[in-house]
Amino acid sequence: MERLKRDFSTISLVMIPVAIAINIVIGTIVYALKLPLYLDSIGTVFAGAVAGPWVGALTGALTNIIWGLSGINPGYTPYWPVAAIIGLLAGIFSGIGWFKSWWKAIIAGLITGLVAAFVSGPITTYIAGGVTGSGTDVVVAVFRNAGWGLLPSTWAQGAISDPFDKAASFLIVWVVIRALPLRFLDRFSRAEDVR
Amino acid sequence: MSQSFSLYIPTNSGMHRLHPLTKLALVFLCLVLGLFLPGVWLSYATFALIIIPSALWGGVLPRLLSALFKTALPIALSLFLIQGLFWPGGTPILHLGPLSFKEEGLYFSIQRTGRFIMIIGSFLLLTFTTRPDELMLALNRHGIPNSITYIILSTMQIIPRFQAKANTILDAQRSRGLETEGNVLVRIRALLPLIQPLLLGSIVDIDERAIALEVRAFGRKGPRTSLLTLHDTPAQRIARWLMLLAAVAVIAWGIYLWLAPRFIA
Repeated sequence: MERLKRDFSTISLVMIPVAIAINIVIGTIVYALKLPLYLDSIGTVFAGAVAGPWVGALTGALTNIIWGLSGINPGYTPYWPVAAIIGLLAGIFSGIGWFKSWWKAIIAGLITGLVAAFVSGPITTYIAGGVTGSGTDVVVAVFRNAGWGLLPSTWAQGAISDPFDKAASFLIVWVVIRALPLRFLDRFSRAEDVR
Repeated sequence: MSQSFSLYIPTNSGMHRLHPLTKLALVFLCLVLGLFLPGVWLSYATFALIIIPSALWGGVLPRLLSALFKTALPIALSLFLIQGLFWPGGTPILHLGPLSFKEEGLYFSIQRTGRFIMIIGSFLLLTFTTRPDELMLALNRHGIPNSITYIILSTMQIIPRFQAKANTILDAQRSRGLETEGNVLVRIRALLPLIQPLLLGSIVDIDERAIALEVRAFGRKGPRTSLLTLHDTPAQRIARWLMLLAAVAVIAWGIYLWLAPRFIA
């Protein structure tokens, strides 16, 4: 409880909106560059890494809720639990020191991507019948044609696109943490985990 | 709020003047209807009977339909093509060369499209007719902590500033010759010079903003005064309870229909 209060300090409460804005603005840039990535959880991963799993989870959940309810991307809101789990895992991996080296950050990202794909599968299946309206839907077609069930085909699609994206996000956050001044980093509650 | 990250449409309809929680209860009921109603056609019926009249009352129907169309069209197309054509072991009803549309796949696609438009339609209805700051104030009065409503409102104000900053960085990098168009490799290489200044600049800003808030007693306990006033009526309070009860009934019905064949049979 005491730990939680320290995680949700004023600096965290100011950092969360900035982290959410980073998610949304960079997500939009990457979408405009038509890259085969989303990179819409850099802020969430950063928040989890420097302020712990609960701040990370809140940042993730609010990103999708705000992005969706702003009316810009209404299809994102139902995925708030996925975003919350990404932030939660970033905080847990930071807690065991995996943000201290670049290759551990990449492995943490790959694992997070697999978990994210696992959690988003049932949501996609239930509300959108297993498709996302993007190019990776071809994967679903291939697996459905091979006789796979709805949920496994959706999982296959997520498992192909998500781990790579999350590994890239975790690596970018590792780079950002290295580039920040220590005096500034130390303002955050979990700074000792990432230095 | 001068500039905010929201597609809220400021007009003065009866729908707009409702208490934010009344609209939230309506949207919650619509979500529950979208998620739990059985069968293929019921979600289309509730969309026509609840979302369309409410949007019409709020004067936002054309905007709602066009935003809904833009979001739902790629999903619906993908659904019909993929689940319609590749439904394993389905009954073929329409042949297209070597492929054929399967009856089961088409029914599934129609049902999921209905569910999707019901969910997205109810989100858009809330967005278009509810001022974000009024909604947050209403939630705040009903126990959502100040810190959460602060986070949401300040995010919505930060994003337009960030987007402006991102455009400045994009222009600056392009003017020094950074390629942002071309093959995937070129575009990936463009990514880091674009996002790194944005990331570092905005993160370092946090410190100053935190100090500014700390010296203004942001963390103080106790009630806050708001410049906004919310209008509520007894009729709306009753309506909210009725909508919540209806939502609970629909959930119970949906769960019963889902469980019944598993246990009774």
